[in-house]
Amino acid sequence: MISMSKEDDDKLRESIFKILTEEGLVTQVAPVPEDHIQFEQIMSEARELPLDDLRGRLVIGGLTPVSMDDQSCERCMYYLVHRKWCDLPGLDLPVEPEWWCRLWRI
Amino acid sequence: MTNLLWLQGGACSGNTMSFLNAEEPSVCDLVTEFGINILWHPSLGMEFGDGIQQLLRDCISGAIKLDVFVFEGTVINAPDGSGTWNRFAGRPMKEWVKELTAAASYVVAVGDCATWGGIPATSPNPTDSEGLQFLKANTGGFLGKTFVSKSGLPVINIPGCPAHPDWITQILVSIAVGRAKDLELDHYQRPKTFFAAFTQTGCTRNMFYAYRISAEEFGQKRGCLFYDLGCRGPMTHSPCNRILWNRQSSKTRAGMPCIGCTEPQFPFYDLAPGTIFKTQMFMGVPKDLPTGMSQTGYLKLTGAAKVNAPVWADEDMFV
Repeated sequence: MISMSKEDDDKLRESIFKILTEEGLVTQVAPVPEDHIQFEQIMSEARELPLDDLRGRLVIGGLTPVSMDDQSCERCMYYLVHRKWCDLPGLDLPVEPEWWCRLWRI
Repeated sequence: MTNLLWLQGGACSGNTMSFLNAEEPSVCDLVTEFGINILWHPSLGMEFGDGIQQLLRDCISGAIKLDVFVFEGTVINAPDGSGTWNRFAGRPMKEWVKELTAAASYVVAVGDCATWGGIPATSPNPTDSEGLQFLKANTGGFLGKTFVSKSGLPVINIPGCPAHPDWITQILVSIAVGRAKDLELDHYQRPKTFFAAFTQTGCTRNMFYAYRISAEEFGQKRGCLFYDLGCRGPMTHSPCNRILWNRQSSKTRAGMPCIGCTEPQFPFYDLAPGTIFKTQMFMGVPKDLPTGMSQTGYLKLTGAAKVNAPVWADEDMFV
């Protein structure tokens, strides 16, 4: 888990939101991994990215600021509720509870 | 005096090693305190050659009273049902087993191999192995569904890979002191005193299970091993976190997922690549849920747990 101040988290979350909405970054929302093998393949791609490649991680994770059914970030295994953070190794990003990504797990 | 005979079929000797490490009570206690006379054991027996053959024949004929017959390892039937891939004392082991189980007052299967076939009986099962009274989860096995020993009990199954030393010695003591009639067995013929609760019962990671905090690496102190590392603690019946190993720890306490070795389906998914130490998922939801929990219930509980998790759940308390 990357350690940052709450203000830094908030700023980064805000920029991610802008990237996904105003800039209209297209992320890979499909295919959604069916099993852990496909999940691991996507995770490997994410882990190969340089640490500062934020856009790359957003694209590979398929992050989107729109909720998909009951699969919102706040119901995901890797969501830290008080920090509003995705703790999935390879993503490690501030998120909003209602967002979604294709690596959602419970 | 309780006469005990221990033989080994298709086995790695893991349960013998476990047995010899017993502490409460120890193997010496069995002899000195509880009057168990170990007629023969692969690591302790003195007889060999003609001597062991005669001993076994005397047990079968009744010249020596056989109170407890303990079997470790699978019954090997290959090739072609002859069992000659596992010969012992001049004949296929399976023939000794057939006659000794018929002569014994109590029959105890120790370890997964003797109980349900374990790893040797996993597909493609090249040795045509089976457990004494089960083949995986199917009742029957080598002795058949209706087998009961002279005491009227079916085979007493003490599974595990290996079985915990004290599970073995405590069951032997219950027989030696005449309390075997008090043993309640579950539907897999495991003593309920050990196998009614779950491995998760007493797990030190239960707080992480409750708030869905996952451990991603072996040995990691923070997190539950169920969500990523394939821990089977919530659906495995064993007292591993109540009767500790070496009196001080357990797999999950050390950061190693439970592999479900006291269940007849072990090894799960027939050891297919990618199924070990990995939680099997379908569309983000575990395929194997805690015993008794529906998928809907799991989703609801998990959602509620995440949303209501306390602040400490976000942090690493082990700093």
